[in-house]
Amino acid sequence: EDALLPAPQNISILSINMKHFLTWSPVIVQGATVRYSVEFQGEYEREYANGSWIPILECSLTTATVCNITEDISATVAYKLRVRAELGATRSRWGKMKGFFNRVTTSLTPPLLRVLADGHHLLVELADMGPVFQFRLLYWKKGQESRVQQKVMREVSSVVHLDTMEAGAEYCVKAQTHIEAINRSSSFSPTQCVRAQGDTSMWL
Amino acid sequence: GACRVSMSMTEIRAGFTAIKANIQSRDPIRTLSILSHPHSLHKVKSSDRCCITHLLFTFYVDKVFKHCRTEDSFVNRKISSIANSFLSVRRKLGQCREQNNCVCGEESTEKFKQILANYEGLNVTSAAMKSLGELDILLDWMEKSR
Repeated sequence: EDALLPAPQNISILSINMKHFLTWSPVIVQGATVRYSVEFQGEYEREYANGSWIPILECSLTTATVCNITEDISATVAYKLRVRAELGATRSRWGKMKGFFNRVTTSLTPPLLRVLADGHHLLVELADMGPVFQFRLLYWKKGQESRVQQKVMREVSSVVHLDTMEAGAEYCVKAQTHIEAINRSSSFSPTQCVRAQGDTSMWL
Repeated sequence: GACRVSMSMTEIRAGFTAIKANIQSRDPIRTLSILSHPHSLHKVKSSDRCCITHLLFTFYVDKVFKHCRTEDSFVNRKISSIANSFLSVRRKLGQCREQNNCVCGEESTEKFKQILANYEGLNVTSAAMKSLGELDILLDWMEKSR
């Protein structure tokens, strides 16, 4: 380690919908390109592996000041993260993130939902958010808010058939995500309503 | 007794699948099994499942993962991911065992002793690598007995 090269500062994590990014302030050296290396340490490493640190290859000698640590933060335990600056053979001390990061604190946003009426069929489209996400859909016939139906989906296919609607009736849908690994749910998406195709049969 | 523990089997399995071939290639002794010799886990009574699952997770956390360090950074990262997941689940299993007073029956205690004997019958690195290579046996048994 070399005191000439300061350790990175303002090390923090941005975590949204179970995607976790480590960020830090750049170390400025006039006329030079500073590179950075990132390492992580889980609770297992602290308690059973002599406090060892594990390098993240994709963020070794990177010039970026952000590192996607999602793949490595894949357990619901407390993790420590550290970053150091490197310039040629010179290395700074490790800059450590204050405290721990546990993915249970990730910010959860409502799912992106699109509700469609295909004739009498109530369909929804949901954006895929990753293998750990489940979706809870609530749907009801407008005016019958007390008779809400629920559908839980563990995997997302592009379009989901929710129900067969009564001719001309209006149906409403809202959705939230749930992540079993951290036992938390997002808030609900805004409610969306669509009207079923009217009855085409005519009395003659 | 039964234990309902939320765990992300998907992530553990994905982590193991990513390194399974690498780990199993380090296990030269293909004729022996740590978890399945002489009897399969499937013979464990349902009433003992919570208890023996906790014992097995403790076995992996305390004895196996620490002897599986490799020269491959990718493999080490996946092992860390599995080890930390096991640590998290073991904690929940431990709490569940206490609350439900899950006690291991005689047969299951014997089964777990056999697993330890199989493990101690090899040198520690070979035993650890073999045990890690058999993780899908444990995961399959857990999923089938859900």
